[in-house]
Amino acid sequence: MKLIGVDVGGTFTDLVYTDTDEHRTQIHKVATTPEDPSIGVITGIEELCRAHAIEPGEIDHVYHSTTIATNAVLEYRGARTGVITSQGYRDILHIGRHQRPQHYSIMQEIPWQDRPLARRRFRRTVPERLIPPLGEVLVPLDEDAVRHVARQFRDEGVESIAICFLFSYLNPAHENRARDIVQEEYPEAFVTTSATVSPQFREFERFTTAAMNAFIGPKVRYYVDQLDHRLREGGLKADLHIMRSNGGIATPEQVVDTPVLTLLSGPAAGVLGGAWAGALSDRHRLITFDVGGTSADIGVVVDGRLGEASARDTWIAGYPVMVPMIDIHTIGAGGGSIAHIDPGGAFRVGPQSAGSRPGPAAYGRGGTEPTVTDANVVLGRLDAGNFLGGAMSLDADASHAVIGELAGRLGLAKLEAAEGVITILNANMANAIRSRTVQKGIDPREFALVAFGGAGPLHGAEVAAMLAIPEVIVPPHPGITSAVGMLTTELKYDTIKTAFQVSSELDLDRMNADFAGMEAEILRQFETDGVAEGEVDFARFLDLRYVGQGYELRIPVSVGAIARATIEETLAAFHRQHEAEYGHAFPDTPIEIVNLRTIGTSPTPQIEKPVVNQGGSLEAALVKVDRTVFRGDDGLVDHETRFYRRDRLPLDQPVAGPAIILQTDSTTVVPPGWTFVADRHGNLILTSGGR
Amino acid sequence: MATAPASSNEIDPVTASVIHGALESIAIEMGFKLMRMSYSSIIRESEDFGAALIDAEGRQLSEAKQSTPLQSGPIPGYIRGIWRQLEARGETIEPGDVIMHNDAYAGASHGPDVAFVVPAFQEGRIVGYAATTAHHLDIGAHTPGSGGIVDAIDTYAEGLQFQAIKVYEKGRPNHQVWNMLRSNIRLPDLVVGDMEAQIAAARIGAEAYLGVIERYGLATVEAAGNALYDSSERRMRAAIAALPDGDYSATTHIDGFLDDPDPRRRDLAIKVTIKVRGDEMTVDLTGTADQVPDRPINMPLEGTVDCAVWLSLRSVLLDSAVHGEIQQNSGLTRPIHIVAPEGSLANPTFPAPVIARFCPGIELSNAIVQALSQVVPEQVCGGCANGGGMIFTGSGKNGMWVHVDLFSGSYGGRYGRDGMDAVDVLYANTRNNPIEDIESHVPLRIMRYELRENVAAPGKWRGGVGSIKETLFLEDGGASVESEGHKYPPAGLFGGSAGRTSSLLHIKADGSRVDLPSKVPYRGFKAGDRLVATRGCGGGYGKALDRNPADVLDDVLDEYISAEQALADYGVVITDKLMVDGAATAAERQRRAG
Repeated sequence: MKLIGVDVGGTFTDLVYTDTDEHRTQIHKVATTPEDPSIGVITGIEELCRAHAIEPGEIDHVYHSTTIATNAVLEYRGARTGVITSQGYRDILHIGRHQRPQHYSIMQEIPWQDRPLARRRFRRTVPERLIPPLGEVLVPLDEDAVRHVARQFRDEGVESIAICFLFSYLNPAHENRARDIVQEEYPEAFVTTSATVSPQFREFERFTTAAMNAFIGPKVRYYVDQLDHRLREGGLKADLHIMRSNGGIATPEQVVDTPVLTLLSGPAAGVLGGAWAGALSDRHRLITFDVGGTSADIGVVVDGRLGEASARDTWIAGYPVMVPMIDIHTIGAGGGSIAHIDPGGAFRVGPQSAGSRPGPAAYGRGGTEPTVTDANVVLGRLDAGNFLGGAMSLDADASHAVIGELAGRLGLAKLEAAEGVITILNANMANAIRSRTVQKGIDPREFALVAFGGAGPLHGAEVAAMLAIPEVIVPPHPGITSAVGMLTTELKYDTIKTAFQVSSELDLDRMNADFAGMEAEILRQFETDGVAEGEVDFARFLDLRYVGQGYELRIPVSVGAIARATIEETLAAFHRQHEAEYGHAFPDTPIEIVNLRTIGTSPTPQIEKPVVNQGGSLEAALVKVDRTVFRGDDGLVDHETRFYRRDRLPLDQPVAGPAIILQTDSTTVVPPGWTFVADRHGNLILTSGGR
Repeated sequence: MATAPASSNEIDPVTASVIHGALESIAIEMGFKLMRMSYSSIIRESEDFGAALIDAEGRQLSEAKQSTPLQSGPIPGYIRGIWRQLEARGETIEPGDVIMHNDAYAGASHGPDVAFVVPAFQEGRIVGYAATTAHHLDIGAHTPGSGGIVDAIDTYAEGLQFQAIKVYEKGRPNHQVWNMLRSNIRLPDLVVGDMEAQIAAARIGAEAYLGVIERYGLATVEAAGNALYDSSERRMRAAIAALPDGDYSATTHIDGFLDDPDPRRRDLAIKVTIKVRGDEMTVDLTGTADQVPDRPINMPLEGTVDCAVWLSLRSVLLDSAVHGEIQQNSGLTRPIHIVAPEGSLANPTFPAPVIARFCPGIELSNAIVQALSQVVPEQVCGGCANGGGMIFTGSGKNGMWVHVDLFSGSYGGRYGRDGMDAVDVLYANTRNNPIEDIESHVPLRIMRYELRENVAAPGKWRGGVGSIKETLFLEDGGASVESEGHKYPPAGLFGGSAGRTSSLLHIKADGSRVDLPSKVPYRGFKAGDRLVATRGCGGGYGKALDRNPADVLDDVLDEYISAEQALADYGVVITDKLMVDGAATAAERQRRAG
């Protein structure tokens, strides 16, 4: 099998090619083409094929992560969107939860009021109403009213329509009927229903998710069509699959229907790439640490299982979206983060970033603010002559100047200020990791940190030290780990159904029927993709909470008919999980089963373990010896430090830090007191304590 | 460009920054856990809770940013109240103690906001406290629920009062207290569950705080705390120093009890004079109406008035949309002094009742913003429509139920922006409950929840629009209401129109209608009865004739206003094809100006 993974980032489009028969992997990078990213994708594929004599027509699969949907939301450039909703509830999307995003601000913006996904003039109501507990019809759907609105929308140039009825998660019949009517009247429109994108309670969040799907739908559809077209033009016959936020891939058709499920496509691929790298070296409890120029993405992976975000924690550009997403915690901390003194006199780093333009002062593109990259240059950890394998040179004088100026204002020596920038940034990142581990009952000391992205390996060891994480793994190609991640995934579809059952009076027949229905639904999706029933694996989860609580914990439950005993085990696991995450359990309180979840997966061809050459020698790898600065117990210490080329390192030979390891897409810092080894699987393993 | 302070602090800026991050992260963790664990919707959905770390001297180091402002702000006051009461009784705080406190005359915000405080000990001495507060669903008042208790005649009628009660002593639960508590509140399982969650979260906070102290040493953490307070203080001082010295006054009014024959219970003034002197200010509430000795709309000076003052000031002077996120801590409040005459609404004397002090506090906040409009006109907003809420109760087949429906208000117009529509305002920032949650759990049906139409207050930047919400009782039950703004509309600014008042209507199953005032003590409702809550609209900012005609057209297209209103209020002529008639508009505006 010949596979290509393409990750479109803000600056670069990264490509990985692998041939599972010939055991060969190649990587490539081209500039992203923001106006139409499909151009960069096809350019990258063509260049990669030319460079490595690959026949485009022989490529079997292209896996792709896209930021089209995310950018449309961030830039507020989507379709003219209309909403058809239940009579009496025209402004659910506008009122939201009646809470302001900021506590202490008169001048703030409210995203859903200032940048509505559907303006009020395009929010129309029709008579219909369902009621709990089962979605019984209180007011029948007024079909003529729907028809009338559909025609109005057509005449008004509304391109995309979201149908949002109360309690549709209990009974989608009205939404589905309304969708059919709209499609009859206005077949060109993009139509979406709230129960399709997110069949769970909380109307503001569900309606917003549906409206966002509608808002980005036409744009994503156009992009996917363009991409497919360009691929065919370029002579590719490969199956195209697109990464979604849940860490699985889907066919273009599925993505076009529910683009809202691709919003975290890129970061999800990063977590998968980190998980894959860890597994290469037989590490299965992993914290992924993906640091770029402006942000750090943090994920937790246990035995290949990715954490999934709670439905109430997922936001994009200030809008809530209730869809399955890998739990990725993003903070504004990266190589471009700007160090500054706030008006109260406190020393801070980020979240503002110099980005790649103008970028750090060291880039020589006009940046005048001191950044993390500049601090790394001053400390000698980034080598001006060997940045990105020498592809770009750094202006060390500029870094010294901006850090020196910052130091003057802080009343610190220049090196102290530079080291302070790094320490503050690292502490911010360590706090972010703590919030996803220690604060959820996970002990990071039992984990390895997988550090990647351009800046992850620069900071990984020191961040790990702050959390007493004993080991850091740097993947073979840290800068393109997301693209690699795409080659490690599988087809994956989720369904969810709000149940609202209470443990003291469980209706198991209803639950079993619900699960059976959900699995049938998933099988239908796979069937559309040409995947047979036997090739699909299922996993089930219950979203549980104590009766009265508002937040759920997700607990696995076995596949197949569920008996009372099965449920008892799951409930016991919930009590344990509650204790672990919150430090407290309420064993005598009944438990509410809020949602049933089913995930269906089907394997697709994946990248294999890299074949590593026999390695070189330390002498061959040595580039230079220079001074670097690290904090010791009694202040800053100037160390004589060896700089190595990663691709020439000997295998399995532990080397004591301090050391700097150079490669084309990243730089790894091994602080004093740490040891590194280049292992047989292509990873660098950094170990604390000098063992 | 900012410069670092002279090194009077014995801590380097890097360590200070790292410790600040750790302290903030702990407060957030406490808030997160409390919110996730708690049972009642007022905590978990409305987020009416607080969590903070306090230093050994009672100063707030950090607060959970998820908490509603009015809950974290008063925590230092709770601590001081606890100290005073323990000292008066000759008691001391011991390791393993957990202290419960809600005395509104000793720092608490009001009775339902019960705090649980866990001391952090190192080597036998207190090095700080972790505290959580939360609004509890019932606290044993004379009618069900802990809101809308608008007819309490003194603090005893408001519910149980906990004055620095040790619910755990040296780690052992005080079962007698818990037993007594359970037998004196409705819904004891819910309330005690929430209290347990509070205690668990506070314990986690105290432990994590000790971890920071162990790691960096007490002296360093104390120095970091001082650096933090100093830094916040400098920011507030700089903001005050930028204002011209002078006295700036504004007065707002509350309805009080509009249906009450006693005039001393209605039409009450709240007067604020902000006296700016250099980089300090005094907020003087002289001129505010006398307390109402037997109705609970009085505002404790410590716990409500001080928080309303601090939070409104910082929202204008250190607006986070402009200045970025600034941690709420005790340094921010140092340059601000508050004066309130004893025996007034803003400084009542015990045992004047205070449980319904929320809405008067909003009008106090409004007065502060209006007063500041005289000096920072581009940082303020027109008058905001007040919030409040209703408590619905009943006893169904599964026992008693309580549902808290918090009202939204709306903001006045702002320089360059219209007011925010249908949100909680000023010192409050709670959330509503999803309709799909309410109807799945209590016998109510929300028949309508939308924005009002044709009522937005005109202005160059118009006022925000209030909501209308209609609730149907599916079974017999009751409701209590605590609100404001039925008589006094939010003020307009700089030529903008005044906003719109709120109203409340009881439509009985037989179709008859009863207009209700802004405060309704427990009132019975029958199945089939409806309550329609129509919420106020914020005041306009600037002259309506100066409003951009394109924005007026947008409002017509979005059906906030009619084409007739566009002409009448704004002098904008909208054609039949829903376009602005530029020439006719110019002529119309010219005619009115001339």
